[in-house]
Order: sequence, then structure tokens, then C-alpha cells
Amino acid sequence: MFFNSFAFAVFFPIVFILYWFVFNKNKSSQNLLLIIASYYFYSCWDFRFLFLLVFSTFLDYYTGIQIEKSQKETTRKFWFWLSIGVNLGFLGIFKYYNFFANSMSELLTSVGFQSSPFLLDVVLPVGISFYTFHGLSYVIDIYKKRIKAEYNFVDYSLFVSYFPLLVAGPIERATHLLPQVKVKRSFDFEKAKAGIYQFVWGLVKKVVIADTCATYANAIFDHYTSMNSLSLLLGAIYFAFQIYGDFSGYSDMALGMSKLFGIDLLKNFNYPYFSRDIAEFWRRWHISLSTWFKDYLYIPLGGSRGSKLQQVRNTFIIFVVSGFWHGANWTYLVWGFLNAVYFLPLLLLKRNRTNIENPVLSWNLESVRTIINILSTFLLSCVAWVFFRAKTVTDAVLYLKGIFTKGTFASQYLDNERYNFELLILVLAFVLVEWRYRTQVEPISGKFATLKLSVCLLAIIALGTYSDYKEFIYFQF
Amino acid sequence: MKKFLLFVLKTIIITIVLLMVLDLAYTKIYLQSSSRGKIDQVYSSSAQKYDVVILGSSRANNHFVSQLFEDKGLKTFNYGMSGSHLFEADLLLKLMLERKYEIKNLIIEVDLSLSNDKRADGVASKFLPYLHNSEVVREQFEQEADYNYLYYIPFYRYIKFDSQIGFREGFKTLTKEPTSLLNNQGYYPLGNKKKMKMRNDITNLKPLPHNKYYENVKLLCKKHNIRLLPIMTPMCENTKGINYFEKVKKAYPEVYNYENAVIEDKYFSSCGHMNDMGARKFTAVIINDFFKIKI
Repeated sequence: MFFNSFAFAVFFPIVFILYWFVFNKNKSSQNLLLIIASYYFYSCWDFRFLFLLVFSTFLDYYTGIQIEKSQKETTRKFWFWLSIGVNLGFLGIFKYYNFFANSMSELLTSVGFQSSPFLLDVVLPVGISFYTFHGLSYVIDIYKKRIKAEYNFVDYSLFVSYFPLLVAGPIERATHLLPQVKVKRSFDFEKAKAGIYQFVWGLVKKVVIADTCATYANAIFDHYTSMNSLSLLLGAIYFAFQIYGDFSGYSDMALGMSKLFGIDLLKNFNYPYFSRDIAEFWRRWHISLSTWFKDYLYIPLGGSRGSKLQQVRNTFIIFVVSGFWHGANWTYLVWGFLNAVYFLPLLLLKRNRTNIENPVLSWNLESVRTIINILSTFLLSCVAWVFFRAKTVTDAVLYLKGIFTKGTFASQYLDNERYNFELLILVLAFVLVEWRYRTQVEPISGKFATLKLSVCLLAIIALGTYSDYKEFIYFQF
Repeated sequence: MKKFLLFVLKTIIITIVLLMVLDLAYTKIYLQSSSRGKIDQVYSSSAQKYDVVILGSSRANNHFVSQLFEDKGLKTFNYGMSGSHLFEADLLLKLMLERKYEIKNLIIEVDLSLSNDKRADGVASKFLPYLHNSEVVREQFEQEADYNYLYYIPFYRYIKFDSQIGFREGFKTLTKEPTSLLNNQGYYPLGNKKKMKMRNDITNLKPLPHNKYYENVKLLCKKHNIRLLPIMTPMCENTKGINYFEKVKKAYPEVYNYENAVIEDKYFSSCGHMNDMGARKFTAVIINDFFKIKI
């Protein structure tokens, strides 16, 4: 059941009505309803994986309590490592085992040994990377004595399984979400209205921008060998907007619908394509994952303390692991590595925290520099996205090589029966709207809200891509 | 909460109004079109007289050279539509007859399409702008499972088939952007593709014992005194399950089997589609066999 599906359009109002009109007596009944709804929502993909979700929830709930209760350090460590081991074990089996088995087999074959790897015939459970990271952060925080263990199983389950964030984040923290589920929520009109606006804007990003860009990006990436330079360049740009519209659109919908239940989720995107350097980009893209890795990996490794060599090592570790989190493929590893390479000069020159405020343009030379910085950061991210999108690293390299060697910068008729340049106007219009409202969560609220809402609805109805349906990209992670 | 419910109600009303306005606007644009494709050409036309009309899928569209019929003094148009099934061929014929077309001979390509009686969405959707304006279109879709959605929910048809009749096609229709679909009296010649081994596998196909749309076409022809020529067209030699054509002949004895009329790979663009050279050779055979008197 996707947020932009008919089934969800029926499911969500039912849950909303029950939440505010039937189960509104106290926070326990509100939470219980949300848990039931979340488990139903999750089981719509594959009910068998519901057991995995419940088991993972119970494991972290129980080990969290045991860690807190244990007086001895060895016992605390035992429960801590049990939780970490089982959580990462599940992730390893479902997501990474086949990749490692295949890679090992290829390595052995390349040095002259015959090997046929034993592969698992398993489907990756939807959202496993997200809810595993919820559980991990919770257990680590208890172990580090940053938070108290949660003794109410329903409340804890809701923290892990809350359906707006269950399958593609944002990756919540116990310190942020648990306090909200521990109190009764009362209805707030302004918050609910803001939620609707954010949901609608997320839908625009998904069905108008992402899915439309996808038809062009797919037509180009899937036939990149026969594409000319302009098509390849445009394909990379279209994919950049596809993945941005898809994932930030999903996040907006998740945040928006959560507001309707009176719960605020962590902000996940902050107009990343207006970043002036890669460090800023990573403060604005998939914020909940970046901060997760920063808090639970980068800082424990020493962060920006220690020698330059250690800082460089930590930077590469965090980016490569982040790439690997996305999927078990060399392409994601290279994508992460490439971002680390982009980041390195900023780190060495201590310029990784120079662009903190929102970019501002006026009629001066500084603005020209800002524009050049934004464009060059966007182009660098496009290059990295090619690795993210390509099936293999070789494909990505050939794709990028093609931009410079396939000579012709001319219009080309694509496999989707459209011309390569056709979408530029839509993409440009989207960029201008985002730029105009970059200090807001979404562009609808404020003056002329009804008119802007109508324009967005018009765009969703008339410009959305529906017949060539695309799943949310991040569901596969 | 009351304020919120009113806000939601307002949003729903805005959405419904937008759906209705867009439906009206899109339909108006499509109703005025007459040159984007074969369906809108027929819909917007008045009574025509044809010696030969050709219907079917791409295996009709790419295989019958209208000009060769015309050269023999036969007024011809190839209404074959790439990707279509017999649902669309039947509906297009009904639309022609609704517009009082006088047709002497109807060649219909019936081979692979006899294996199903489902509509081909890619082509059938092109009829949908006329759903509220043409009785035959409405009747044809009435039996479909999604008829109520298509007919009663404003703009649903344009959303569901957005890649065929959505914004992009609507815009091109509005600006009267030309297509090549009506060139060469509807015949679309294919060239030679890159050297590749011709092969096809149709072992899974089975002709239906009673294809309702083909039967409809037969009845319509009988009723309107049209000479019906149901023809199976050639496929490349290296086709697995080529006995499918014999099965069709057995189930529908009146169908003419010309699968073997053109054999060599050099006459094919792909296994299921002849190139222009093959199409000309094939059309000459058909003219010779069925239109001798005229010659």
C-alpha cells in the first residue's frame, strides 16, 4: 500500500476518523489504534515479514530493559551486543548475504578457484533498514545512558512501527518520538492544515516530478549505449530530480500525514539542490540518516577529533557505510566513496561548515559565486547519482564517458516516445518554486494558500504520471 | 475539528471542480481533433466510400500497402493500428458504420489477435474521449470491468491512460502537431532493422474457439453487405509454435491463411513484421487472389 495509491486513500481517512472520533479517550487507545493500523499497513506488502518486525521490536524492547536493569557491566554488554548482533544479523542475512557470497565467489574465480556460491532465495523485507536503525539507536542510547528504557510495549512498538515512517523513514530517535507518543494528542487545526499542505506538496513531488522524470531517466539509462551526449547529460539530471522528488516527496507525505495525528517527525530534507558545497548537501539530504551515522558511527570513531589521517579515515568510513546502507551493490559503495572524495577537500581546508545559512541572492558578485557553487555542487551530485542509478560500476563509468564522447548535443527521440529535452520546462518550474519558498517547509502555506493548493491539485491531476506506476525508490532499501 | 472538516470539504470540492473542468476541456480538445490518428479521423469524418478498408493490428498496418490497391483503382485506407486487438478493430468498424461509411471489401488481419478478446489499453484508450459522445463507443466499453469508473468519474479516463490521452497528447492535439499515422493511406512501411537473427515464440498462444469481437465484425459485414476477407499474414520462418496458424484455420475455416505467402528473412523487419519490400510482395499476392476482376 503506497501513500499515492487508491488503497491508501481509503485506509488513511478510516484511521484518521477512528483516531480522533473513536479512540480519542486517552493516549493508550490512540497508540493502540496506530499500532494496529501500522501492522495492517505493513502486512499489505507481505504479512510474513510482520513477524520479523514484531520480533525485532520485542528484542529491542526487552534488551533495552535488561540493559537498564543490569547492575554488572558484563551483563549490560551481553544484552547490548545481543541486540546489536541480532539486528545486524537480520540485516546481513536479508540484505547483504548474497552480495558477499557472490563477491567472494567472483574473487575466488578470479584467482583460479572454481566456486559456486550458496545463495539465499529471500526477498528483502520492506523497510528493514529503517526499522532496524530505529531499534539500534534506541538500544545504543540506553547503553550509553542517554535515555531511559521504555517499559510500555505499545508505546515502544509505535516508536518502531509508526506507519508514516515505517517503510522509508525518516529514521526517528527515541528522544524525539517517544516523548510524543507518551502523551495524549489533541487536535490542532493549524498543525493539521499544515500537514495537508505538506502531504499535497509531497504528492506533487512524487507523481508530477519524480514519476515523470523517471520515464525519461529510465528511457535514457536503460539504453545508454545508444544515447547521445545531451541525452546522457539530461538523463543524469532527470534522475537527480527523480530521486529527490521520490524520496523527499515520500518524506513530506510522511511528515504531513503524521501532523494529522498530532505527531511531528524529524525533518528529512532541506532543499539539498541549493547547497553550495557537498558538506552542506549532506546537511540537507536524508538528514535523519546523515545525523544517525554522525551520532552512532562518526563521533564514536573520533569524528573530527584526532589527526588529519584519522579524520580522513572517519569521513571515508561514514560515507562508504552510508552508501552500503542503501544496498548491497558495488555501485552504492562507489557512490558513497565518491561523496567522501568530494567532501575531503572541504575537510582538509576546514571549510566543511562554511555554508550554514540558507543561500541568498542579490545583484552582486557574491551571488554569482553562490550560483556557480550551487550549480557545481549539483553537477557533482549528478555524477554520483549516475553510480547510484546504474546497474554496475562499469555501466556508470561508460555512461559518464559517453557524456564527453558521444559527440552530438542534439534532441533525441527516446524509447518512451518522447524527446530528451521535453521535461526541462517542468523541472525548471519546479526549481523556481522550490527556490522561492526555500525558507518554508512547503510552498503552499502563507498568502494565497487556497490558490496555491488549487494549482498543486491541478498539477497532480493533470501533470501526474499514473499509467507508468513507479514504486518509491527508497522502499527497496 | 469542525474547522478542519470544512477545510477538507473545501479541498475535496476544489478537487472535484478541477476534475470536471479538466474533463470538459480535454474532451473538447479531442473532439475537435481530426488528424492525430486513425480513430479521431474516423470520429470526425462524415460518410465515406471505400472499395477496400483494412483493419487489424500492426500486422495489418505494416503489411497491406494501400497504394498498390489504389493503383488498381480501388479506393483504400489502411486502418490497422499498431498494438491493437480485435476489440479496437470491431469498435473502429462500428464507428465507421455509425458515420455511414460505405465499404465494399473489408480486409481484417486475424491471426494472433484471435487468441484473446481483451481490449488493448494503448489503443482502446484513444476512443475514451468520445465515451460520452458516441453511443457505439459507450456500448463497447459498457461490458468492461472499469466502465463505471471511466464513464462516471470525471477525468478518470485521462488520468488512467495519461500516457495515451493525458496532458502531453492533449497539448499536441490542441496545437495540431502532425503525425505520420495518416500518411500513405494509413499504411506504415517498416525498414530493415540491424542485422539480427529472426525468431519468435508463439507456442503459448491458442486461438479462442469463439472470439466475440471477430464474430461481431462478421455480423456487421453481413448486415451491411460488406465482403469480409479475414486474412492471416506472414511471420518469419524461425517461429516456434507456427502451427498456431493451422489451429486458427481449424477453428475459423473461413480465415485465409497467408502465413506462408512471404518466407525469406530478407522480407522481414522483425519476425512478426515484414519490411516494405515484403509488404509489397505480400499485398501483390492478396490483390492478385482477391481483386483479379478489377485488375
